[in-house]
Amino acid sequence: MISTQQSSVSLSELNRLVRDVIRKNFPDTYWVRAETSDVRQNRNGHCYLEFIEKDPVTQVILARARGTIWANTFQMLSTYFEGETGQPFTSGLKVLVRVSVEFHEIYGFSLNVVDIDPTFTVGEMAKNRLLVLKRLEEEGVLTLNKELPLPELCNRIAVISSPTAAGYEDFCDQLAKNPYGLVFYTKLFPAIMQGEKSEPSIIAALEKIHAYRHLFDAVAIIRGGGATSELNCFDSYLLATHCAQFPLPIVVGIGHERDVTVLDIVAHTRAKTPTAVAEFFIGHLAKSFTELVDLEKRLVTESREYLQQEKFKLSILSKEVYHLSTGFIRDQLASIRETAFQLKHLTNRMIQYLQQEEKQCNLRFVHAVKQRLQNEAHDLLVNEQYIRMVSPQNILKRGYTLTWKAGKIVTSAAKLQPDDVIETLFWDGKIESQVKKSKE
Amino acid sequence: MEKLTYSEAKKELEAIVAAIESGELDVDALTEKVKRASELIAFCKEKLTKTDEELQKILDEID
Repeated sequence: MISTQQSSVSLSELNRLVRDVIRKNFPDTYWVRAETSDVRQNRNGHCYLEFIEKDPVTQVILARARGTIWANTFQMLSTYFEGETGQPFTSGLKVLVRVSVEFHEIYGFSLNVVDIDPTFTVGEMAKNRLLVLKRLEEEGVLTLNKELPLPELCNRIAVISSPTAAGYEDFCDQLAKNPYGLVFYTKLFPAIMQGEKSEPSIIAALEKIHAYRHLFDAVAIIRGGGATSELNCFDSYLLATHCAQFPLPIVVGIGHERDVTVLDIVAHTRAKTPTAVAEFFIGHLAKSFTELVDLEKRLVTESREYLQQEKFKLSILSKEVYHLSTGFIRDQLASIRETAFQLKHLTNRMIQYLQQEEKQCNLRFVHAVKQRLQNEAHDLLVNEQYIRMVSPQNILKRGYTLTWKAGKIVTSAAKLQPDDVIETLFWDGKIESQVKKSKE
Repeated sequence: MEKLTYSEAKKELEAIVAAIESGELDVDALTEKVKRASELIAFCKEKLTKTDEELQKILDEID
């Protein structure tokens, strides 16, 4: 017990021992690959952070160390880093830093940064981007959002932005003052657009829009331009996969010129600034509007032309009808005249024929009448002679008499009785006598 | 007309204008088509340039 107490050391003695061993064994500075985490700057301009190393597959943390960058070094390094990478020195970056290994009795183990190689970070970011893109491609979601058709009438826009950002205001202003008088509806879904929290914040906004997706035609993710800002969050796999599979087309304008983030690649359309995003929406709708105006013009022109043509055709037709009908009438008249002429001719011939016939008839008639009259005259003569011969006068002269009794002719002796008074006619006179007796 | 979407209306309009331009319509059909086309144009223009207050209200009410 006592011996253990005698052989013990105080913490400060131990820490000093550790410090000495470390100093002795790590006299140089070393280039170390690590990921930054929990980067913060205090009032004096010193930067404190954590260096970590994750298993590339499982993302389990394999190592961790505190780090410091003293103010004068940090000022220089951060400017250099930002200039080279287009990206501020923040958490979540893969960096290659030259460090001295420190051990302080009070503060413990830490790595003091003396230099940084930004090209490594650039390469790592690019590598990471490629990895994320490859993964999205393998999962078959990379181009899903790009393949969504932008509706022709695309004017209901869900906006993901920081509510206080100048870029958001620019976006709304630009839409409102479009020169065509087109109507746009915007709805802000606020999100943090900077730093580590931006990824979950933007995803939360997307999820909210998803719940109201039937009210929107497209999503705009915008961030004000200006100073170079952190882009790392827009290379995030999680954000990218959400955006790629979002059912509405996403148009991004996250205010950077230098590089293309994964979000830019998976989005339906990328523009540089919020104003450019607004221009994109205006342009898209204006195209349809212009087409509409053009259709209207064509409709008016075409139908007017058509009617004029029809009128023209009609006037030609009416002329044709006139020509044809006058021709027809002329033909008909000529035909009628011809017929009339023929009729007259025929009639004349008929009349002549009839007149001739009549003449001949007359001649024949006269002849026949004469003949008949002669015949009749002859007959009359014969008859006269005959009649003269058979007349009672002649018969009486030949010795015949006629006998009357009481005014009636007597043709039979049996009708007379003795003493009847009778009258007897001779050719030259009458006698009256009385019957004496009848004889057989 | 109310049930028509903008795209449907515009497609129909395009078809009508194309038909008129083809010159295959008779005068009666033309009159009919021009009437329909005018309605479609008015419908589309309204969609593009007239604020739908009801929609605006719905959007404003999203929390």
